Amino acid sequence: MGEGVPGLASAYTILFTAALIFLAILLVLCLIRAIIGPRVADRLVAVNMMGTIVMVIIAILALMLQEGYLVDICLIYAMISFLAVIVLTKVYMGVYLERQNHADGKEQENGDN
Amino acid sequence: MEIIKWLQFLIGAVLLLLGLGIFTVEMIGVYRFHYVLNRMHAAAMGDTLGIGFCLVGLIVMNGLNLTSLKLFLVVAFLWFSSPTSSHLIARLEVTTDTEKEKHYREVPLAELEKEMEERKADSSVEAEDFLTQEGSAGKEPRENLGQEA
Repeated sequence: MGEGVPGLASAYTILFTAALIFLAILLVLCLIRAIIGPRVADRLVAVNMMGTIVMVIIAILALMLQEGYLVDICLIYAMISFLAVIVLTKVYMGVYLERQNHADGKEQENGDN
Repeated sequence: MEIIKWLQFLIGAVLLLLGLGIFTVEMIGVYRFHYVLNRMHAAAMGDTLGIGFCLVGLIVMNGLNLTSLKLFLVVAFLWFSSPTSSHLIARLEVTTDTEKEKHYREVPLAELEKEMEERKADSSVEAEDFLTQEGSAGKEPRENLGQEA
């Protein structure tokens, strides 16, 4: 970025590097939140946030390295992280409801006996 | 021409830093709230506004070309996907929560409407009192509120 103008290229490099380091720190904080989050929904929210921050990192790298195709990866990443959240919520809800049905069935059997 | 390029850099940098600031606020909110449904407010902010500011800043730096269009498509996709995934996570939390009384209270709509009507009837009287004594009595409740907090 910023070729042909004295000083602009280094300014872009400094800005992008600082932003990337800051986002990396936020990513680690997100990971800590995902590990300590007491409930399943906590972890899902944290993973969703990590996806958003990784998208910004990929977009910054695309401009920094002057590789336009990296933005395609960013778009695909958004779609896949959305899909992951949908699948995980459906799976957890299905498992929970199945377990509950199982427990209810057992209680009814005990009541009959 | 150089001035325009520097201006482009400055506007883009300000927008990018605003986006990073919103990510910081999001992280503070996620650590300070104590329950998932509260944390979700903070998390949704970064998904839409944070990445929106960051990518608009990058678009300004990049100028108008195909890469900028793709960056805009990422933001537009997130505008739709973020509320949907938030809704799904919230529904998961409400369905699987075994100790609801600890976290929030459920109020039937009819009861809430009745409560609000009662409050309206009360407050129309109180509001008149408040208007007449605004100068002197207006300060007292606020001080009490501050002490309680």
